[in-house]
Amino acid sequence: MRIFRVATLAALTAVCAAAVLSAQTPAAPKTADGHVDLNGIWGVAPLPPAVKPGQSVRWLLPLKGVNPEGTDVFKGLDRWQVDGRAAAPNKPEYKPELLAKVKDLSDKQGVLDPAFYCKPQGVPRMGPPTQIVQTPGQVVFLYGASNLFRVIPTDGRPHRADVDPSYMGDSKEHFDGDTLVVDVTNFNDDTWLGSDGYFHTEKMHVVERLTRKGDVLTYTATVEDPDVLAKPWTTTPRDLKLSGNRADGLVEAPPCVEHDAPHIVTLDHH
Amino acid sequence: MKRPLLVAVAALMLGGATLAAHHSFAAEFDINKPVTLQGTVTKVEWVNPHVYVYLDVKDASGKVTPWSLSSLGPAAARRAGVTRANFGQGQQVTVLAYHAKDGSNFGFMRRMTFPDGHSVELWLGDDEARK
Repeated sequence: MRIFRVATLAALTAVCAAAVLSAQTPAAPKTADGHVDLNGIWGVAPLPPAVKPGQSVRWLLPLKGVNPEGTDVFKGLDRWQVDGRAAAPNKPEYKPELLAKVKDLSDKQGVLDPAFYCKPQGVPRMGPPTQIVQTPGQVVFLYGASNLFRVIPTDGRPHRADVDPSYMGDSKEHFDGDTLVVDVTNFNDDTWLGSDGYFHTEKMHVVERLTRKGDVLTYTATVEDPDVLAKPWTTTPRDLKLSGNRADGLVEAPPCVEHDAPHIVTLDHH
Repeated sequence: MKRPLLVAVAALMLGGATLAAHHSFAAEFDINKPVTLQGTVTKVEWVNPHVYVYLDVKDASGKVTPWSLSSLGPAAARRAGVTRANFGQGQQVTVLAYHAKDGSNFGFMRRMTFPDGHSVELWLGDDEARK
């Protein structure tokens, strides 16, 4: 759940985001073929011990300033997220004639967001992979939270022309020094770039950049969609700390099963 | 009652993973309509984007009414240390929930209490704001 802000930012930073890189940052290791080695699990915090059956547990999803005994809990959660995104400086810029459409979609996000109903969030909204497996000729991105994957050739072949548009698109990639550059096309239009009505067309073109410095991987994605965006948009860099490369490090996520939609009666959203 | 296990907020964090999108709880549940249900847990559905617990509630006449209850997402629950085994499959429990706005036998489960007095509560808020 991406619904945590002030109280947890410090924890986020400590657990998964990189610490400030010092001038002594070691060089990124290389694979046998000389490319930067991106193998590993990135930005995944170890699980805490499980509570034993029969033991009490009380846990609050942190909502700073919201009394857990009050009547503002649900609204407070929505407000926290909406306000947090509104305050974020980096947003995709749409053509002026489409701003009303974006606002309308945003207002109805609670029922229209394609990421509901268990659809993939797609590239780039799904963010960086949780595990990267690098072999000669291909790189595999694994997304542990959603059980999704991408297999990306690195042999210089062009984009495929024989597959349907999709949520994660068609990817090809090359290395630029210690950066893996992934070029993605052939998207469907059934994803948003974010929760605030940021729709796109099938013409969207995304370039992801994954740069390793020491044990930190930095992920950004640049989105071009000239039919709807006023200019290309680059996501805010996300720094992910190497979390190891254990064979059992990534566990199967529970499937997504949608039960809520029939019970939604207002346009409250977060 | 056994001493609650207080899990650090930091344990919540999910790393770089982007999880399933969530509907607004306010769009579904009425915070002003808490309901206490006593019944048997018939099923714990450990799925995204929310965990669901199914409860057979028996009234004084013996009539059984099935309820379904939403909770937080499974990843958030696990970060709190809570697994499927903590949600009382097959057991008699008392649940504090908030009723669905559509009036159906559906709610958002805040706390499950067991006959021996121990409880599992996954909720939202800031204890500092109670003062």
